[in-house]
Amino acid sequence: MRRLMRTQKMIGRALALAALTSAMLSVGERTATAASRGDATRVVVDETGRRVTLPAEVHRIVSLAPNLTETIYAIGAGARLAGDTDFCDVPDEAKSTPHVGAPINPSLEAIVALKPDVVLASASINWPATADALLKMGVPVYTTDPHSVDDMIAGIAHIGEVIGADAAANSLVAGLRARLVALAEKLAGRTPRRVLFIVWDDPLISIGRHTFIADALRLAGGASVIDVEQNWPHVGMEHIVRLQPEFLVFTGDHGDGEASKLDELREKKVWRELEAVKAGRVAFISGEVNRPGPKLIDAIEDLARQLHPEAFAKAADPGGAR
Amino acid sequence: MSARGASLEGAGRGGNAPPESSDVRLHVEQASYAYAVTDRGAPKFALGPVSFKASRHEIISILGPNASGKSTLLKLLAGVFKPISGFVRVDSFDASELEPKARAQKVALVQQESALLFPLRVWEFVLQGRYPYGRRLRFESEEDCLMAGNALAQVGATDLRDRWMEQLSGGEKQRVILARALAQQPALLLLDEPTQHLDIGGKLELLRRLRRLADENRYTVVVVTHELNLAAEFSDRILLLHRGKALACGPPAEVYQREILEPVFDAPLDVEIAPSGRPRVMLREVNEGPWGPRQ
Amino acid sequence: MQPLTPRRILGICALLGVVLFVAVVISLRLGAYPMSFRAILTSLYESVMGRGDQIPTDYQMVIFGLRLPRIAFGIIVGGALAVSGAGFQALLRNPLADPYVLGVSSGAALGAIVSLIFAPHVPLAMQGAAFAGAGITILAVYFLGRRGGQIDSSTLLLAGIISASFLSAIIMFLMTTLSGRDLRGMAFWLMGDLQTPPQLPLGFLFFVSLAAIGAIYTTASDLNLILTGEQEARHLGVNVARVKLVVYLSASLLTGLAVSVSGAIGYVGLLVPHVMRMLFGSDYRILIPASALGGAIAIVAADTLARTVASPTELPVGAMTAIVGAPVFIYLLRRRVG
Repeated sequence: MRRLMRTQKMIGRALALAALTSAMLSVGERTATAASRGDATRVVVDETGRRVTLPAEVHRIVSLAPNLTETIYAIGAGARLAGDTDFCDVPDEAKSTPHVGAPINPSLEAIVALKPDVVLASASINWPATADALLKMGVPVYTTDPHSVDDMIAGIAHIGEVIGADAAANSLVAGLRARLVALAEKLAGRTPRRVLFIVWDDPLISIGRHTFIADALRLAGGASVIDVEQNWPHVGMEHIVRLQPEFLVFTGDHGDGEASKLDELREKKVWRELEAVKAGRVAFISGEVNRPGPKLIDAIEDLARQLHPEAFAKAADPGGAR
Repeated sequence: MSARGASLEGAGRGGNAPPESSDVRLHVEQASYAYAVTDRGAPKFALGPVSFKASRHEIISILGPNASGKSTLLKLLAGVFKPISGFVRVDSFDASELEPKARAQKVALVQQESALLFPLRVWEFVLQGRYPYGRRLRFESEEDCLMAGNALAQVGATDLRDRWMEQLSGGEKQRVILARALAQQPALLLLDEPTQHLDIGGKLELLRRLRRLADENRYTVVVVTHELNLAAEFSDRILLLHRGKALACGPPAEVYQREILEPVFDAPLDVEIAPSGRPRVMLREVNEGPWGPRQ
Repeated sequence: MQPLTPRRILGICALLGVVLFVAVVISLRLGAYPMSFRAILTSLYESVMGRGDQIPTDYQMVIFGLRLPRIAFGIIVGGALAVSGAGFQALLRNPLADPYVLGVSSGAALGAIVSLIFAPHVPLAMQGAAFAGAGITILAVYFLGRRGGQIDSSTLLLAGIISASFLSAIIMFLMTTLSGRDLRGMAFWLMGDLQTPPQLPLGFLFFVSLAAIGAIYTTASDLNLILTGEQEARHLGVNVARVKLVVYLSASLLTGLAVSVSGAIGYVGLLVPHVMRMLFGSDYRILIPASALGGAIAIVAADTLARTVASPTELPVGAMTAIVGAPVFIYLLRRRVG
């Protein structure tokens, strides 16, 4: 008898809990979408193939990646940026925009609280689950997915289209492409420098052929001595000694950084025996190379200048007979 | 105490009268067991055919050197093993054929307790002995509590009821383990070397208690032990095992003969009669004769 | 002598239920999106009354789209992990056992990483692969941990520890091949994170977990006996082999589910049962429901902290349970010694 009562009580409790849970969850599925708000909308397909329903006019944007924040400011839409990530620091105004957390796990609530018309995400920095969760709640998310410098430039045009800054975007794109063409002309006919790109020096990590950086390197007139499928290969020093790259490229800033890095390398065993170190052929590319944004072109040009100084000296002296 | 009657089997408590068949709780007939087989497929008997009966009020001590088959016999009695030949019956039921819970209602085994991992109160521990009497997920009834209380009283541990198990002394813990076994309301109480970790006072106390339980509460008690003298003092019968064979089964006075004991234990022994009338075994001078120090 | 009665169990569950309710209410109130208690209560009321369309869109999005699902998720995961921990502590006869000691979380992590490498953009793949990894590990450890056809506690523990190390080594190696984004994501996953909602409906997870907890509960009396000694339990009539199998499968299922959807949240499975033992005793008939509710409370509290302490940055809930859990563990350890 007592057992029966106990069983009944437990079943009753379980059912009540289940009912409450179901109520909670089923309501969640009826969340409103932009479409049900009755605004005019358009549908675009983002770079990962998702169909995204956008409002006709975009007034508030949230960016989930530093390079996208940069792009937005570059096409003059910075005033419409309602929120970005903790890591967005270029340009300076981006630092004072309300933050929604880190790119890898932003606070969904903070994003929603900003009431964005569209959220911009990058497949290489943001977790797909974040975009999915936002889309499920009816927040439009446009994800870019560039795999090369050219993709990145095309992406700027897409973003312009999405946020309604087509004119500025297209002119920026044209300008960037023109610069790349000019750079290619300057480097025409020159053998690409054999370069070791160093992501991390201890342990030694370089880049694979499918990375963004490899592409940027090619455009700057260089060729990575490490040519593998894997994106971030660990490389043994012996391999480097055998290959003897012409240049060592690090990410970082110019100026004092260069000199002190070279000194540091001259102190290190094995490194100091490399021809590139002995000859002082160490180049730097700005951290922008990790951030596929408009300033990447600056970085590429800058690297090209370091790898092929003669090409640029020539241009400065058109009349010189050389 | 007067000397026991001289019959080999089933000496009842009060003298020479043969036991009533309804008094027999344990009946072992030609039971044997083997753990392995020889190359030709014949079983390697760890325990040859053993037969004996035990009644209410009886304490039977199983004695023998190491590897004589004592623990095998105990497992047969507990129903853990099924005998290869013969049978082991408790209250007319084959011990190994009974369902575990039904068997636990008839046979209780007291072993050295494993270390407890989590704190437990004495009464909780003793209540566990009521497990055979309920459904799978059960809550203890008033009857269970009553039985557990009785069990504690039978071992004189009622005042230990609310203590934590880990706080008990060796002797107290032994009593509580015994209480749990008694809470099973068994017909047959089996004990596996229960005096091992007790001091001499504790050993005496335990055996006295067993004697009282057998006498007053009608349990049938079978004890596997190394304590030759205490067994002689408190048991009704001794079953002597040697290399898997039952050499003798009878009252202590019969079994404790020098000619029987010395070859079994391979030690120089003398048997005397104590003031109580029970035999007492003593170690003779160790340096004489064939038992002397090896050259 | 006061034996455990169903009434006492229900009483304790009611008490813990109230604490859980309070935790849920507080958790609903806190978050990046500003909302008053009134707004929350009104929205809840409207929803229960069936007037869902009366609730402002934003509130609906935040309360029913974000906070409530996440809280419900946390309750399920917390309860599953705590009960699983209690089960393993009994099965392995080891107070230090937690849901991950048998390698289930490593198997799930390996599944997750493999899916990241081969199917990076498919969210369901990651959780599905994690569960598959967990399942394979459960089976492998079971077969390795048997002796004489039955689960042997020490052999099982060894088999589990070895599997966990082996799998961890593979995971370490694979992690070196991941890109920056995947690496960070994996780090969060390994810590345990409730932000990514499960691909399976919460209701399904809830009922499966409840079933597994129920299965373990049917062996509660048996577990009490087994904990005083396996041989002794057998002699009292417990079917030890069957009980071990049931507990192993159910606890592993609970762990596998929890880890697949939320990563390896630590300390809950280890500590909640111990705390509940200190409060309510070692009897598994009360320990199991108490652990379930206690685990739910712990995760709801930890997750609330995780998403508000460094707002808008969200910490992984596993980091929170570790930060709070370690001192609690030390305190418990000292109490035992004292």
